[in-house]
Amino acid sequence: MKWCSLLAEAAVVAATAAAAALVFNTVRPNGGLPLIARTPYQVLVPCPEPGGAVQPIPADDPALSYDRTFLIDARPAEEFNRQHLPGAVHLPYDWLDPVPDGDLQQLVEAIAASGATRVAVYGDGGRPDNGEHLGREISGRGIKNVFFVSGGAPELFGVATP
Amino acid sequence: MNATRIAAWLTVPARWYLGLLFVAACLHKIADPHSFAIDISTYDILPLSLVNLAAITLPWIELAAGAMLLVGWRVRTSSVLIAGMMAVFLAALMVALARGLDMSCGCFASQGADEDPISRLTILRDLWWLGLALFVLVFDRGLVGIDHLLDRRPE
Repeated sequence: MKWCSLLAEAAVVAATAAAAALVFNTVRPNGGLPLIARTPYQVLVPCPEPGGAVQPIPADDPALSYDRTFLIDARPAEEFNRQHLPGAVHLPYDWLDPVPDGDLQQLVEAIAASGATRVAVYGDGGRPDNGEHLGREISGRGIKNVFFVSGGAPELFGVATP
Repeated sequence: MNATRIAAWLTVPARWYLGLLFVAACLHKIADPHSFAIDISTYDILPLSLVNLAAITLPWIELAAGAMLLVGWRVRTSSVLIAGMMAVFLAALMVALARGLDMSCGCFASQGADEDPISRLTILRDLWWLGLALFVLVFDRGLVGIDHLLDRRPE
């Protein structure tokens, strides 16, 4: 059988089955499913969690002061300018304004080029903690040994984030 | 018995397997098209105006293709249908995975993402079924079934 006639026959079978389906749907006891949905279905698909695994690290962990620890501050610029750990790179993580893809990629490249053996991110220490989530995004881009400071900046500096 | 002949005989269990699979897969969708419509909608690929139409008609096409494979009637035609459907399902799965959707594939009885989440294994499974459909399409020689009784052999 030639391919064209095979495809034509398949189309006829599909059309016949579809017609039977429509007839069956019409004679269903409850009137069947409307042919066109009027309102969107409520589908509950959880938002994809960004990235990979991160581990908590206490604020007094000596690893935070090691040369080969890449420090990242996820707080807003105002708080970063007020106080931050020496050498920390600033990349604010705002729940309502996702980090631009280019900025994140640039940071990941900087981490890869730095020769650091671990990455430590600190944020506002809230629940959820923006430092932890920035860490997940970084980890999800293939960076290993990503940690977040448990309790965030308030634990590090002893002051509550406004 | 040469390799083509062996392959032709192997298409018999392959099409029974595929036929059973498709008939089993369509039954809950025919019984509960609303749940299937939600499954389709979760993929977020079809426009809303086509979701119900697909939910109503697709299971019957699966039923027709599956039953035709089981009884051995126009086997190559039903193989084309099944291969086409598998290609569409695979594309939808890949889009959903690329989007990072945490959901059930909706292939069989509607299940939650916790019970039957889509993954790369789902893709591999569907690729296997697509391969089987193509195998039947290429090597079927109408050995067992209605095509055989009607002496209707593929060229």
